[in-house]
Amino acid sequence: MSSGSALTELLWAEKYRPRSLQEMVNQEDIVKRLQVFVKERNMPHLLFAGPPGTGKTTAAHALAHDLYGEDYRLYMLELNASDERGIDVIRTKVKEFARSKLPAKAPFKLILLDEADNMTADAQQALRRLMEMYVDVTRFVLIANYPSKIIEPIQSRCAVFRFASLKREDVVARLKWICQREGVTCDDGGLESIYEVSGGDMRRAINVLQAAAALGEVSVSNVYKVVGLATPAEVRALLKTALFEGDFLKSRDALRKLMVTYGLSGVDIVKQLHREVFSSEVAIPEDMRVEIADYLGEIQYRLVEGADDEIQLSALLAKLVLLGRPLRQQPQPPKPVKR
Amino acid sequence: MSLARKIPWTVKYRPRRVDEVADQEEAKELFIKWIDSWLRGRPEKRAALLYGPPGSGKNSLVEAVANERGLELLEMNASDYRRSSDIERVAKLSARGGSLTRARGKIVVLDEVDGISTAADLGALESILDLVRSSSHPVVLIANDPWDPKLRDLRDACLMIEFRRLTKTVVKRVLGAICSSEKLVCEDDALDFIAERSEGDLRSAINDLEAVGEGFGRVTLSSAKALLRARDRDLNIFEVVRKILMSKYAWQAREASTQTDASPDELLRWIHENLPRQAQDPEDLWRAYEALSRADVYLSRIVKSGSWDLLAYAVDLMTAGVALSIKNYQYKFKWVKYSFPETLRLVARTREARQVREDLAKLIASHLKCSTSTAKSEVIPLMKVIFDSNPRYSARLALGLNMSESMVRYLSERNGDAIVKLVEELRRELAKTGAERRGSATVPGAQQAPVLSKKPARGKPGGSASRGLDSFSKSSRG
Repeated sequence: MSSGSALTELLWAEKYRPRSLQEMVNQEDIVKRLQVFVKERNMPHLLFAGPPGTGKTTAAHALAHDLYGEDYRLYMLELNASDERGIDVIRTKVKEFARSKLPAKAPFKLILLDEADNMTADAQQALRRLMEMYVDVTRFVLIANYPSKIIEPIQSRCAVFRFASLKREDVVARLKWICQREGVTCDDGGLESIYEVSGGDMRRAINVLQAAAALGEVSVSNVYKVVGLATPAEVRALLKTALFEGDFLKSRDALRKLMVTYGLSGVDIVKQLHREVFSSEVAIPEDMRVEIADYLGEIQYRLVEGADDEIQLSALLAKLVLLGRPLRQQPQPPKPVKR
Repeated sequence: MSLARKIPWTVKYRPRRVDEVADQEEAKELFIKWIDSWLRGRPEKRAALLYGPPGSGKNSLVEAVANERGLELLEMNASDYRRSSDIERVAKLSARGGSLTRARGKIVVLDEVDGISTAADLGALESILDLVRSSSHPVVLIANDPWDPKLRDLRDACLMIEFRRLTKTVVKRVLGAICSSEKLVCEDDALDFIAERSEGDLRSAINDLEAVGEGFGRVTLSSAKALLRARDRDLNIFEVVRKILMSKYAWQAREASTQTDASPDELLRWIHENLPRQAQDPEDLWRAYEALSRADVYLSRIVKSGSWDLLAYAVDLMTAGVALSIKNYQYKFKWVKYSFPETLRLVARTREARQVREDLAKLIASHLKCSTSTAKSEVIPLMKVIFDSNPRYSARLALGLNMSESMVRYLSERNGDAIVKLVEELRRELAKTGAERRGSATVPGAQQAPVLSKKPARGKPGGSASRGLDSFSKSSRG
């Protein structure tokens, strides 16, 4: 499966990331407008909004690349707000860079704030002031999954670009192209199923593709094998233990394992649980699915607000143990009556 | 002298003769009569069960008697009962050997028999009964509370000897004797105070006396109060949690929380750990967790807003809120074993692995331009699949991403060794081809390999990314 005799390999999501706007094959309208900015060497602050894996980060880097050339990172500060989201970062790192002198020949510097919707509200307020004060030398590109989580004053200072989910045929075509470049055997079923498991998220699709290819070939069975192996079985176990066995302590142990051993954050676990709750493979009464989802939402809100992962998720488990009580009292799977 | 000081007073002033054992005249008489009956052959009851409150002299009497008669003590306590094989070993030892008239007889002592929990030490009580029946030496069982139903068979097989709670006067007399022997200046009302609070437990009274005497050089009422009251306040955290969970009134639960130095955050964790053991009714548990998780929300608001005024509400919820949620009295007052917060232990044990995971997530995030949490939840699991299933390909990836050895091992326990070896081979190969290609250029070290990746580096990695990579190659060198 190697491309020739290469001794080293990269993650394909990096290897096949378009470097310039020209290489981008999706989001054509957006790309065209961005290319105008490059031509005019001027642009407003930008807000890229849309679901994960639709090319927001790629477009931002490609834009910078086309503006400044190969060494574009010299003219750009990139921060991932999920990792550095506090007001301190805005006041120090961002401010320092925003007010620094403009390099020769560059029309302005760029500050790229990825996952900006994870910034705290006060950090956003601080950011808004910087956007005004240094607009003559610095432009901001904010990237967010949920633009509504960006405060209104910032939104109104940005040109908003909405990235749409990628279409099935676009994702499949790109995956096929990568397979050809890599010399990997793939079939359409395999590629389609990658789209199924990743939605329109191109990064996830390419990551799954690479893992499936590492198993030998990109087939339907390999794709599902990869996804199965990569999803910790503990999430479902945790749900089932609490709901159907009513064993709180055992389910809490599973929770701890997920957090400490797999390193999943509370929000990750809530999101995966949400998927499981509506999975046809877990036999939960329909109305209860909704009730659990409601509670999951409450827990996620508290976690985002800064509450403790383990305590909040334990409260969820206690709720599940209680909700499951009527399920445990009747014979578990309704067995066919023998006559 | 200096050596003698290091021996705890409870050991130093242990009675050597029977008449030094404080009080308990009836118990002494019964016990000595029973021991002496062994001299005339085997008595009807092969075992004696000594019971009574802690620090009333049960162990001391057995030791004093053994000392006076030159008998050897064969001792076991609750922690040994876990395995019935241990009891059988002692049983064999005691079955051997003749009688007390021989040069060196023995007394088999089983301490804390009421500490046996039937579920965990299945068979232990059976083994003890066997031991009692087969022993050719006196068997002494010791317990605080012998009236537990599970001990019924044992009670029937034993001569029951009761130890009474020591009176304050007796305790005070012993303390006074120790003071004069230690040449300590002791105020009379200080001894009164210590004896009073010991509630007849001579062992704890002597410990208290020693603590005050050592700490202040003299035993005055004010020093005793200062030291011992402070210790009272700092209740064992297990006890604080137990008190909170068993509280019937809001004030009880709130007051209990003031008796520990643990921070609210720590206390929350201790309650969280042990709550499900106490609140076994699902409805209670759910209600209690509603309160506890609200307390946690308040704590997070304190962190966010910096307003410590909110602490009161957090404490209300985690103490009274939790306690009053437990309404099922069948479980509320049941004695269950508590434990140390498991997560703290787990976190400490896995510190290294988590550090490796963080570093790996940063490395991946810098390559894929995503957040570390995306790297952890989305990319690392898929990389684990690759590393578990395809060592050759993984080695190329490890080299391309410049991973450290521990990162490789983190991604695959199964293939760790193989991949590390393959990486080394690839590095050597790369160094060779690199040298050829560069012609006369200086031979690059193996560590430089990643720079020679076939694809030319596109742009310079950003500030933080390049710092990250440097440190990774450093750590992989080590």
